[in-house]
Amino acid sequence: MIEKLTDTHLFGILLSVACFYGFSYIRFRSRQSCVNPLLLSIVAIIIVLSLTAIPFDNYMKGGSVIHAFLGPVTVVLALPLYRQRRLLITHKYAILGGILAGVISALTSVIVLCRLFGLNELLERSLLPHSVTTPIGIGLSDLLGATEGITILSIIITGITGAALAPFLYRLMKIVHPVARGIGLGTAAHALGTTKAIEMGETEGAMSSLAIGVAALTTVGVVILLQYMSWY
Amino acid sequence: MKIFKQLLVILGLSFGGELLSNLFNLPIPGSITGMILLLILLLMGVIKERHIAETSDFLLGNMGFFFIPAGVGILVSYQSLKGNYIEAISVIILSTLLVLAVTSLVTQLLIKSEKKHDRKVD
Repeated sequence: MIEKLTDTHLFGILLSVACFYGFSYIRFRSRQSCVNPLLLSIVAIIIVLSLTAIPFDNYMKGGSVIHAFLGPVTVVLALPLYRQRRLLITHKYAILGGILAGVISALTSVIVLCRLFGLNELLERSLLPHSVTTPIGIGLSDLLGATEGITILSIIITGITGAALAPFLYRLMKIVHPVARGIGLGTAAHALGTTKAIEMGETEGAMSSLAIGVAALTTVGVVILLQYMSWY
Repeated sequence: MKIFKQLLVILGLSFGGELLSNLFNLPIPGSITGMILLLILLLMGVIKERHIAETSDFLLGNMGFFFIPAGVGILVSYQSLKGNYIEAISVIILSTLLVLAVTSLVTQLLIKSEKKHDRKVD
């Protein structure tokens, strides 16, 4: 019965809109920036599908319609990067050097740690783009033949971790320069890190926002280079 | 009408990116090719901010919504985690802290050395 009723494109779209709206509303009402509508929607939908007899494929009928918009969402990431381009004029080499160092340490640390913990290769590839902004992370996940779902969850965990721990880490390491603080957060923890950077100050926020786009493109470049050289 | 005009530009670029990646067998996913294409066209002044602004800001501001289905996809792929939940989360947290430390430290050191260099030039 329920299997038949939900066998329509509208079901998946409706469920996604309902969850996302519901959790966005809770976030708005509670004024807690740690309420993550995306993560909570994913968990809620997984619970709904597990508890009822609704097949995964029925949800994905509508889900694939939403999923089709990932392309356009990725394309428009060029706009914030374009708007922030002037920030690169001052401290150009420091910013690009810092981001490149961060991107390389992100990729190598995932490879080294995964092998240290004995995780399988599919998992290693799925975790590789964890510091990148989600749409680019999904693109890289596909490129690496990894699992989109695991990549997305790793990106969300990264954002929450980075935003929560950056203030302590910066104090511990005496990172005081606002440009360095912003670039660090944007490179390591994408959009979620940027919300924390905006709390720290205007320069931090702008730099973090710039770093999201630059770090994403740098990661794409390094991954393609690694594949081209057959190193990965 | 404005929204449709902007949507036309964005969807066109997105499709163009897919086309370029497929036609030329580029190693970059089509969506990222589309992003780079848009960035180049903006920098060249071929596309102006007003041609895409409102629709782009809507998509950017509500980006999370579009990742829900891909995230729910973990339902069919969680087997590859093979119960290694704690290990996987540890990798993510440790790697994130390292990236945060390396990026901010290198940026700060380079800014300081820029200043020293400037003083010498003066």
